[in-house]
Amino acid sequence: MPELTYREAVRDALARALREDESVFLMGEDIAEMGGSMAVTQGLLAEFGPKRIRNTPISEIAIVGSGIGAAIQGMRPVVEIMYEDFLTLSMEQLVNQAAKHRTMSGGQVTVPLTIRTQGGAGWSPGAQHAQQLEAWFVHVPGLKVVFASTPEDARGLLWSSIYDDNPVVFFEHRTLYPLKGDVPDRLEPIPLGKARVHREGEDVTVVATGRLVHEALKAAEEAGTEGISVEVVDPRTLQPLDEETIVASVRKTTRCVTAHEAVVRGGFGAELAAVIQHGAFDWLDAPIERVGAKFAPLPFAPAMEQWVVPHAEDVLEAIRRTVARG
Amino acid sequence: MAVEVKLPRLGQGMESGTIVRWLKSEGDAVARGEPLYELDTDKVTQEVEAEADGVLLTIVVADGEVDVGTTVAVIGAQDEDVSELVAAAGGDGGVPAAAPVAAVPVAAATVAAVPVPMEEAREEREERVKASPLARRIARERGIELSLVTGTGPEGRVVAEDVEQAAAAPAALAAPPSPGEVEIVQLTSIRRTIARRLTEAWEAPVFQLTVTADATELAGTRERMLQLLGEGDVKPTVNDVLTRLVAAALMRHRAVNALFIDGAIHRYPSANVGIAVATPNGLVVPVVRDADRKSVQEIAAARADLVSRAREGKLQLADLEEGTFTISNLGMYGIDQFVAVLNPPQVAILAVGAIEERPLAVDGELEIAPTMTMTLTCDHRAIDGSEGAEFLRTVKTLIEAPALAL
Repeated sequence: MPELTYREAVRDALARALREDESVFLMGEDIAEMGGSMAVTQGLLAEFGPKRIRNTPISEIAIVGSGIGAAIQGMRPVVEIMYEDFLTLSMEQLVNQAAKHRTMSGGQVTVPLTIRTQGGAGWSPGAQHAQQLEAWFVHVPGLKVVFASTPEDARGLLWSSIYDDNPVVFFEHRTLYPLKGDVPDRLEPIPLGKARVHREGEDVTVVATGRLVHEALKAAEEAGTEGISVEVVDPRTLQPLDEETIVASVRKTTRCVTAHEAVVRGGFGAELAAVIQHGAFDWLDAPIERVGAKFAPLPFAPAMEQWVVPHAEDVLEAIRRTVARG
Repeated sequence: MAVEVKLPRLGQGMESGTIVRWLKSEGDAVARGEPLYELDTDKVTQEVEAEADGVLLTIVVADGEVDVGTTVAVIGAQDEDVSELVAAAGGDGGVPAAAPVAAVPVAAATVAAVPVPMEEAREEREERVKASPLARRIARERGIELSLVTGTGPEGRVVAEDVEQAAAAPAALAAPPSPGEVEIVQLTSIRRTIARRLTEAWEAPVFQLTVTADATELAGTRERMLQLLGEGDVKPTVNDVLTRLVAAALMRHRAVNALFIDGAIHRYPSANVGIAVATPNGLVVPVVRDADRKSVQEIAAARADLVSRAREGKLQLADLEEGTFTISNLGMYGIDQFVAVLNPPQVAILAVGAIEERPLAVDGELEIAPTMTMTLTCDHRAIDGSEGAEFLRTVKTLIEAPALAL
C-alpha cells in the first residue's frame, strides 16, 4: 500500500476527479502556477490546463459566489479558500446562498460545490491565519462540514464531498499536510456521516477532530501506561454527524472527553457533549470534559501560541479528570 | 420614602407577567436603571430595571405569574419600616421570598403558582446524593439505596464502581481496617430490613422445642434419588427432602402452618416453605410454594432457581412473599443445633443442625448412626407447647421413615 502525505492525498483526490470527470474544476487564489499557498495543487496546472485550474482575484466572496453559479449550472467546482479565516469574507454567499438554494427552490436547484480550506496553529501564523472555525458552519442547515485528520480519510472524504450534491465545507489542518499514512491504490470513497474509531478502549472515549485526533492518540498511549484504556473516535464529518457510533462508544466506556483545536466556548465539543449526554445519560459516570484552545485570539509569539492551543498533555489531563477519585 | 416596585405593562395587551428570577437579593443596594428581575411575558423574557435608588427592602413576589400593577417589591432606605406597605401589597399569587431566589431554575419557576411542590423540590435538591447518572441507574436497577453508598468520585460523588462494590461486596469485604481501628459499616437497605424485621420478631413471646432424629433413612432416601436422577435434573439435597417432609407434617398440623396478623391466626391450606439463604448482601428467605404438593425433584428445581437468583440479587418481591413456614439449615457449617429467630408474621421456624454420626442408644445397645437435631421456635400467641411438640414429633417420624409422608 503506497504511503502518501496528507497533502498528496488531497491532491490525489482532486487529480482523480479532474481526470475522470469533465465537470470538475478548481478555482482559488494562486492555485495554478504557484500550486496554492500550501502547495496542495502543485502540478495540476500542467496536467489539466488553465481552464480547469483557475486562478482568481483576491476576493473570497467572488470565489465562492462563482463556484455556486457554476455548481447550479451543472459543474462540480472545488474552490480553495487559502485560510479558513478568510471564509468570513465569503459568508454571505456560503450561508445565505449556497446553503439555501436547494430547499428554497423546492429541490429544483442543487449546489454541488466543495469549498476546501485550511487552518490551524503550530507555526506562528498569528491571530488572523490560524483559527479553527468549523463549528460555525455546523450551525447552518444546508451545509455539510468535513474535517479530515489522516491521508486516507482526506482522500476518501474529499472524493465524497466533490460528489455530494450539497455544498460541503472541507477543512484541512495546516500542520497535518506533511503527515504520512498508508492510502490504498484503489480510491474508496468514505461516506459523509461515518465516524472512525481509531483505537478501541474500555474506560474513556475521546471524541477528537483534526490535529487533536493525533494528540488524543498520543494521550491514549500515555494513559494506557497508567492503566486507563482509552477509545479514540474521529467523527470526520461534523455535519452530518455519526451520533450512533459516538453514543455507542460512550455507553461502553461511560466517560467522555471531547477535543479540538478550536476554542472550547461554543466549539464543536459543546454539540458533541449535548448529543452524548442525551444519548448516553444513564451511562455517564463522570461529567463530559472538553478540551480546546483557551478563549483568546491566537498569540503570535510561539511560546504563547503553544500555551493557548491544546496538546496531548491537555487531553491526558482531561482523561485523568474523568476517572478521578476523591 | 419607600417606593413600591410594580409590575410594568411592557406592551399593549399585556395583562400579566411571570417573574422568572430576581437579579438582586433583599438587602442589596440598587440604583435607578439597574436590572432588578427577569420577567417573562407571553412574548419575551426581559430584565426589568429599578425605577428608584435605594435598598431592595422586600421582595413581595419571588416568582410566579402576577397581574400588571401588582407590587412585587419595595425599594427604600436602609432599615426603613415598610411592613404596612408590604401588608397592603398582599403578595397574592406569588411565593414569598424565603430562600435565595436566584437558585430557582427557570423551568421550576414556571410552576411556582403551587408553592408547596417548589419547597419540596428545593429540599430534595439539598438532600440529593451526588452521584453520576450511571451510578444512579445501577443503584435503581439493583435496589441499592444511594445515600448508603460512600462516594469516591470528585467531591464525594458516587460513581458506578462505588455502587457495584456496594452491591457485590458487603461492607465487610471492603478494605480491611488497619489493626486497632474501628470500622464503621453503614447498613445497606437489605440489612436495614433484616434489622427491623428481626427486632419486630423479638416482640413475640416464643418458646423452643428440640428433638433429635435418626437421619439414616433421610440420607438413604436422598442417595436412592440421586441414583435415579434423569439427565438435566437438579440433584436434590438433604434439605430438599426435608422440605418435602416438613411440608407433609405442616399439612397434618395446620396450627403451625399459619401467620399471626393483627391478632388473628391465618391458617393456610398449603405449605409455602421459606428457605433461609445467605447471600453476599445478607439473609433472604425465598419461598417454595405448595411444597406439600410438589415432588422432591420439583422442590429441588424450585430451590436451585431461587437460591441462584438470590445469590445474584435477582429475586423478585413475589419470590419472597406468602411464606407460611421457614426452614433454616446451618448443617453445612457443622452446627450441631441452634435457635432460629421467628420470621414474622409466620408462627414457627425450624432450625436444622448438621447430620453427623453420633452415638445413639437403640434397644439398650449403643450404636453409631447419623443423627440430626432440630429446634422449633414457636410464637406462643398462636401455638401452644403441645401443638408444637406434636408437629415436631411428626417431623421426626417422617425423617426416620420418609415413606410415611405418602
